[in-house]
Amino acid sequence: MTLKHIIFKPLICFALPMVTCVFIVSGIGWGQEETASFIRRYKQYEVSSGYYEQYEVKPRHERPFVEIPGVRTGRFPYSPSGAAVRFNARRADAHQGIRFYENRRCEDCHMAQTLDLHTIRANLTCRQCHGGEPIANNDHYFSPMNPIRRHAYVCSKCHQGASAAYSAYVIHEPNPSLMATQESFPVLFYAFWIMIGIAVGTFAVFLPHTILWGIRELFFKKETTVEAPHEKQT
Amino acid sequence: MKNRLKRFTPVQRIFHAVLMLSFIFMGATGLSRMYMNTPWGKWMGSLFGGYDVSLAAHKYVGICMIIGFLIHFLYLMIKINWLNFPKSVIGPDSLLPRPKDMTDFFQHIGWFFGAKKLPEFDRWGYWEKFDYWAVFWGMAIIGVTGLMMAFPLFATRYMPGWGLNVAFWIHRIEAILAMAHVFIIHFFIAHLRRHHFPMDRAMFEGSSDLATIKSEKAAWLDRLKNSGELEGMLVAQAAPLRRVVFYCFGYAVVASGLFLLIGALVNFRFILW
Repeated sequence: MTLKHIIFKPLICFALPMVTCVFIVSGIGWGQEETASFIRRYKQYEVSSGYYEQYEVKPRHERPFVEIPGVRTGRFPYSPSGAAVRFNARRADAHQGIRFYENRRCEDCHMAQTLDLHTIRANLTCRQCHGGEPIANNDHYFSPMNPIRRHAYVCSKCHQGASAAYSAYVIHEPNPSLMATQESFPVLFYAFWIMIGIAVGTFAVFLPHTILWGIRELFFKKETTVEAPHEKQT
Repeated sequence: MKNRLKRFTPVQRIFHAVLMLSFIFMGATGLSRMYMNTPWGKWMGSLFGGYDVSLAAHKYVGICMIIGFLIHFLYLMIKINWLNFPKSVIGPDSLLPRPKDMTDFFQHIGWFFGAKKLPEFDRWGYWEKFDYWAVFWGMAIIGVTGLMMAFPLFATRYMPGWGLNVAFWIHRIEAILAMAHVFIIHFFIAHLRRHHFPMDRAMFEGSSDLATIKSEKAAWLDRLKNSGELEGMLVAQAAPLRRVVFYCFGYAVVASGLFLLIGALVNFRFILW
């Protein structure tokens, strides 16, 4: 075995395939998969460094067979009915083309969104989170409200240290008692009604029980003497 | 004259008094937040120095309550007779529910209508056991959801943020249930029904009037007589001055509770959730 063999044989067996993998195969899939997956986003990073910016890349090419519930459905989602949302809702300016937009107030159209704890109790205005014009839709890739960076750009203005999981708090919380909430936020709906069930059940039993008990005792005098003479007490 | 039967130890009474005070305080600060947009809620928040301070106080006192709950749990663990464990916590002296509670309950209902004899309750009536376990699980549920909301950044390391929406509603409804139960049912049973009117001092004085025990806890009295323990458990009435203190303390808490209850009911429809 010569020196030439000792150097070149491992080179050919290991190094060349490794170089191939690093430069060619990873470039196609792995490198971007990590940060730009449609589905996973930054989930694996959210409790790590908190610095995302340097990893941010543009979304990958569209993948025809990946469905996004409520946004893109069907086997081949390029038909007019493929998207379940307005096209406007994915724009950088969500209000583009709305007539007399400058003269309107947010709550003219978004009345339901003004009735939450942040607005009513913390006295926040819409723009403190949604920002100035143009207001991009939350799902727009470069929007500060996009879930991939909302915690860093919006939530942490007040809640220092907010993580992506933290920013999954539903600000515009639906009314938990409504049937529509069973669709949009089922855990809240069921938690609410189970708790209401426990409360109503307790009172359905103990309220009549206590009232009847009180009435019954009006007609029942307890004995005041017990085996030995004792003075009457309250 | 020893004509009262010992029911609670000083430690248990102190726990109850601390629980009373912290419960009322938590109720007041919590309602001042829930009713923040009503004048009543604003006024109540101002009692604690504004709604920010009332939230901070709510958190600190809540943490104290949870520590109290943990101490109570340790107390239970120490008090349980572990040598003959399963037997020692089953039986009439234990607060654990048993089949007789169910039959007692239905017999008691029958007695309300005059259809049945008054059941011979043992040491703990079913309503007392219900009160105890309601507080026990209520503390666990309200405590855990409260800690989640008090430390949201920590909580969301282990769960998504929408869990806080759910925790908030569970916290709220459980708190409403707890307050309504204490302010209506517990207060009525302890204060307003004829046999206890104007006040059942058992939880303050530590002892109950023998006549009341005779009519209400007949089985327990019989058991104590048969085992010969009765004589050792008889105590005299507290001094008048101490009784005055008990009445003042008890009625101050009842009055605050009823104030919270009425204010909450009157203003309920003005809340913006």
